[in-house]
Amino acid sequence: MSDCIWIHYARPRPHWYGLDEGTKAERLEAWTAVADASSRDGGVRLGRYHVRGQHDFETVEIWRFPDAEAAFRHWSGLAAAGYGEFNAFANNIGLEAEAPR
Amino acid sequence: MTLLTGATDVFAAAGSSGRCIVAFLARRQPVPPGVFGVGERDAIAAVLDALQAEGWCLSVRAMFDPEGGAEPTAFDTGFAHSVDMAGAFEAPSLSSALAGTVRLERAGWSRRFATEWLLGPREFATVGGLGDAAAHDWGFLAFWEWNDAWAAATGSERRDYDAECDVAFAGDVALDIAIAGRHRLDWASSWHHVGIWEAPSLAAIDRAMRGHEDAADFKFTTSRHLVGRRRPLADLIAAD
Repeated sequence: MSDCIWIHYARPRPHWYGLDEGTKAERLEAWTAVADASSRDGGVRLGRYHVRGQHDFETVEIWRFPDAEAAFRHWSGLAAAGYGEFNAFANNIGLEAEAPR
Repeated sequence: MTLLTGATDVFAAAGSSGRCIVAFLARRQPVPPGVFGVGERDAIAAVLDALQAEGWCLSVRAMFDPEGGAEPTAFDTGFAHSVDMAGAFEAPSLSSALAGTVRLERAGWSRRFATEWLLGPREFATVGGLGDAAAHDWGFLAFWEWNDAWAAATGSERRDYDAECDVAFAGDVALDIAIAGRHRLDWASSWHHVGIWEAPSLAAIDRAMRGHEDAADFKFTTSRHLVGRRRPLADLIAAD
């Protein structure tokens, strides 16, 4: 098992802003449930930060997962819950760096 | 695995093979004397041998024909793009794929190339590709993301769109193009998918693209396309 860092940039897609508050709340609740399940699966959410001032995206969220498969399960859960239909995104995966040589 | 979009007449879901593409876009770096030489080339070759023994495919050809595609190859793209070579391996798992990129980089790959690695599981099985490999030595790599218009479309609109694009893909196959299925990249990239073709000529690729334009393929995607000529990876690594 290799510890992985997973970095997730996101911003709402334009039609997100047109949803009524109830629909938004339902979506956010579903995505929170995915994150909770990922935490139970061994993921650790290190934080979510606002970067709109110097980036194309609005937020960056950083997770540590036990392995790449766990990161994929987290993202697959979000995708299946429609996350990507309401958010543009860019993701990165990485292993802990070894000593330079 | 849940597919981002469903199987079609042309594309069949690959099931739960777990296999993972390791696509690469590599720019050759100017190297001062002594930084990259025979030692690094041999070390990279040794890692490639080890990966192959662990079940990796080391060429797009191997995704169609594991024995016929045993030699590591990539596509020479420098004549048309800012990257000098592009290609794809296929690893047995996501973890193997991720670790393999680090093994290659540390063996000396990173001295030679500045590389963007793109990883993700196979979604669709290969289409065609059982004919004469030597006659299909042009590669085409398509990276795409579903855009805001796709995201806002209804399920019915997306199904109609998939059906229109399937006509274009059937046209690709009729042009003697082999399609290495489709892989999903979205978990670790801004691209959502990659599709790689082996084609008989640049003209065939161009004709195919006209078919995709006619099908309005790009109304729902933002895409990046690369073309290149298949060459042995060892030659591409060694070339100055």
